[in-house]
Order: sequence, then structure tokens, then C-alpha cells
Amino acid sequence: MKLPPVLRLVVRNFTSNLDVITVLIRFGQPAITIVVLGTMFTTIVSSSVTGGTSYTAFLVPGMVAFQMITGGIVSGNLFWLDRRWAMTEQIFSGPFLRSEYLGGLVLTTLLFSLVGVGVMILVGVPFIGLPALSAAGVGMVLATVALGSVFFAGLLIALGTRLRSANAYFSIQSFLQLFVIFLSTVYYPVTSRTPKILAAIFYGNPLTYAANTIRDAFANSFAGADFEALGVLALLAALAFGAAIWGFRNLELGPIQ
Amino acid sequence: MMSDGIVLETKDLGYSFAPGRFAVRHLSLSLRRGEILGLLGRNGAGKTTTVRLLTTLLPPTEGTAFVLGQDIRTGGRALRSRLGVVLQAESLDFVTVERNLTLYAFMWGVPREEAKTRAEEMIALFELESARHRKPWALSGGERRRFQVARELMHDMEILFLDEPTVGLDAVARRRILRYLRDRARGGLSIVFTTHILHEADLLCDRIAVLHLGRLIALDTAEELKRRHGGAREVSMTLEAAISPDLRVNLRKELVQRRAVLLDPPDGLPSPANQLAFRAERAEELLPWLTQWTQAHGLSVERLSVEEATLEGAFLGMIGDVEENDEGKTAVEPPPADHLPPGRNGAVP
Repeated sequence: MKLPPVLRLVVRNFTSNLDVITVLIRFGQPAITIVVLGTMFTTIVSSSVTGGTSYTAFLVPGMVAFQMITGGIVSGNLFWLDRRWAMTEQIFSGPFLRSEYLGGLVLTTLLFSLVGVGVMILVGVPFIGLPALSAAGVGMVLATVALGSVFFAGLLIALGTRLRSANAYFSIQSFLQLFVIFLSTVYYPVTSRTPKILAAIFYGNPLTYAANTIRDAFANSFAGADFEALGVLALLAALAFGAAIWGFRNLELGPIQ
Repeated sequence: MMSDGIVLETKDLGYSFAPGRFAVRHLSLSLRRGEILGLLGRNGAGKTTTVRLLTTLLPPTEGTAFVLGQDIRTGGRALRSRLGVVLQAESLDFVTVERNLTLYAFMWGVPREEAKTRAEEMIALFELESARHRKPWALSGGERRRFQVARELMHDMEILFLDEPTVGLDAVARRRILRYLRDRARGGLSIVFTTHILHEADLLCDRIAVLHLGRLIALDTAEELKRRHGGAREVSMTLEAAISPDLRVNLRKELVQRRAVLLDPPDGLPSPANQLAFRAERAEELLPWLTQWTQAHGLSVERLSVEEATLEGAFLGMIGDVEENDEGKTAVEPPPADHLPPGRNGAVP
């Protein structure tokens, strides 16, 4: 039986560009962060700062939110490498539509980040036990990570359609990753003592909303703000995905450096 | 509507990459089932753009093209599903050669068992056995090119577009691939083939389209192109006896009237009195006259040979003529009607 084109492209994305080492690093880095950073900071960070939980319990939902960046980077890089090695052009000359290729990238992102969510939760279990996630909480976590992944994937793909230099692409990607992670509540909460300018930047970062929403889902304490955050993420995801579609429509094929 | 046996037909096809700047313009040609059409031209002549237009990778900005009965503007996936394309740029996935082949077949929906069988055939045919478990970046340039052609042949197609498929290949591999392509064409596969190696175009192609600055300047068989544009060739004649100086002067005069020149031996070399060499515009037409002339003067010919016309000579002649006419022009203009040869083998003049 012939799979639909989008699924064939997803299989190809996983087979061709995601080797074991890449996967281990992508999942291993946040997992190690949970184990090492969580353990060490739990001993020095007061639970009053992290909402009455251990630092590890604070960090695990942050690392779950982090998966949306991991997923976004995976498909952004996949696209970039396909473009760099002329596979985009080769695939477009075959029985595929550009929309299917883009759909394949997004589905790859979602699968990767959702698997990442599971891995992060499993890594956190020995330290914080199984999170008391309700069905709605699970839905909230998955929706948040999915929308966040589409946002970051869309952003990086849109970037990849416009740039013609690997150096430029990877420099911007690294900077963006660093900026988005460190200026969010993934590693630390925004408190009354956070400088106002930093707090403002934190709340302009979609990862902050994602991390906070996932923390609320883990604690089974949804508030209206979480649904608003989900709405903002959905809007940002739509905008970034729209930018990626626009980039694809105007994509210049042919070799790049 | 395409005529019987025609699988590709373009009429005034053009692509403009900026207002008034055309990469291809007024391209009118056709391709028959089982035919191999060579696209020749200098760098930037529009060969790759033509391939990309015909494979729907680029939308034409003017003219029409029907491939396998479908308009390239609207054919989309249905059309591309019936094509094979080896692009000029190297493309690869980061898995072994063998896995690349089966993965590509999977993408095209080739059943797994069939894909395995085809992969074995392609690995043998393209001499990739030693590269089977290597990743493409560990291959030599020639191996990578062979792999890329092999990969495209993993699925079925009706027209195969090959954009410089033999770059970097050694002579043996090149011959092998050309022979294979020739066999596939006999089996009904139509092929559009671009190359800078004119000798292989001569060997392989049924017809040759020559592009220059985006325009089609010639479309014909290699033989016909050589005959019409091959330029002056050398004719050598060895007589049984020496020719007198007076007769040599007479011959020189007669030859000039027939657009031929009697060649003097290179400086410092002795000139055997029974050996003559000429450079003639129309060497074939000169031979009967030479036979008559020698008979009329009681001379016996021991050996008569004509330098073989090459496609390279014809190509250089065509490009030279057009560049001379185009001197000073910077933009691509519509080709004058008399630049195009009369339609042959289904060609649209």
C-alpha cells in the first residue's frame, strides 16, 4: 500500500536526516539538564521561589516546553540541509507538492517534539514522580507544545527560505535559541525582584507562556490566563506558518552555500 | 493538441527572470516517444532553465509547453509523476548509497521488494558496489554523479531529463551510461539530455537543439548539423606520381573557385611532390570534382581522405556565426526566422 505523500516525506525526513547521534543530543541535552541542573539547583534554590516545589519539579515542565524549540530546530535544520544539498529541488521535481513538503516538515516537528515531551517526563519521574496530569492537562501540554513547535518551525523555515548562507542561518538559529531560552521562564520564574525590563522581555517571549501553561497543567491548576496563552501561541503559530508558506511560494530553488 | 508520438512540444516558450531579461525565449521544439534530444549551449545558454521549465520547477513567463499531453503550467504532480529528473546540482540524503536508492524508491511509491531488486540492478549497472555502504559525501565526484543517475532510475517514467549527467565521469563509465540510456530509449523512454561533452551528444542524441543566449539557434540531427555547420575540413590526397609545379598552380586556382585552399606544407618540412592537402568548406562536394580533375590530367590517386566533421566544429561554427551577428547586443531578442532550421522529425520550426 502506498502511503500518502506527506507521510512518505515524514518517513524520509526521519530516515535521512535524523541519525542516532542527533536524536541523542537533541533529547539528551535537556534530559541532562533535568538530572544535573535540577539536582544541583534543588540544593541551593529555595522552594519559595519556585512556587513551593523543588527546583527539579519547576524545571521539568520547563524542559517539556523546551521541546517545542527542539522540534522547531529539527525541521528548520532539515529544511536548510535539504535546500543546501538540493534535495528540496529534487523532491519538488517529483510527485510532491510544496504544501506536502511543508506539511511533512511540520508533522516531523510535531512527532519529534511530542516524543520529546514523553522523554522529558520520563526523565523527571525518578525526581518528581509522575505528574498529576488530568486528561485536560495532557491535552493542554500537547496543544501547547504542538503550537509552539509549529511557531518555531515556521519561523526557522521562513528564515531558511530567505537566507542563502549556512553561516547566516546557523548563526541566527543559535542566537534565536539562546535568546528565546534564556529570556523565558524555562529555567527561572519571573518574580517581584526581576528587573522590569527583563520581565517585559520575558512576557514577550512565547516560550514563557508555554512554560507557564505547562507548569499549570502539571499542577492541575488551569486559569483563564492559560487559555489566553494558548490563544496567543495559536496566533503566533499561524503567523509563523504563514511566513513559511509565503517563503515557500517565493522559494528560489537551486544550489546555495 | 499534440500529434501522435510527440511527448513534448513547446511553442515560443520563455522565462524572464527580470523585466526584459530572458533566460529562455521563443523556444519551439518537440520530442518524440523514444527519442533522445540533446540540449547544447555555452554556460548560461538556457539549458538548465529549459529543463526546469519543462519539469515544472519554474513557471514559464511566456509561450506554451505540453509535456505528455499536459500543460506545464497546470500539470503539477500528475505530470511530474511521469517524469524523471537528474538535476545539475548534486542532491543527496545523509544515508548510505544503498539506503538512498531504496529510500528514493519509497518516496516514489515503488513497492519495497521491487525497490530492493532495482537497487541491486542499479548498483551493478552503475558500478556502485564498493560504494554501497558508504554515505554520498564519502564518494568521489564521479561516483556521486553515477549514484544520482542511478537513484533517478529507481522509479518508472516516460520522459527522463538529464542535466549534465556525465560531469566528472571517466570514459568507461560514461560509455556505459550512454549505452544504457540508448537501450532505454529503444524501449520507448524519451530523454532530454544536456551536456558540454559534444562527442557524447553526437553518440547518443537523435536530434540536437543548440541554445545560445536563451534562443534556439539550431535543431537537427547531429549529422545534419555537422554537414551544415561543420565548417572547413581538410582533404588529403596522395598521388601515385609527383605533380608538376604548373599543374599545382592550376589546381590552386581551380580550388579557390570551389571555396577550397591548397595548403602549403609547414615551414621547414619537405613537401613530397605527390602529396596534396586542401582545406575545403564543402569537402564532400569537392571529392567528385577532384576525381574528375585528376583523371583529366592523367593522374592516378593512391589515397584520398577527408577529415571527419565533428559536432564540436559545427557547434563552434554556429555559436561563432550567431555571436558575430549579435555583436553589441546585450539583451535576448526574438530569433530571426532564418536562424531556425526547417522542421525535421516533428520539430516545430
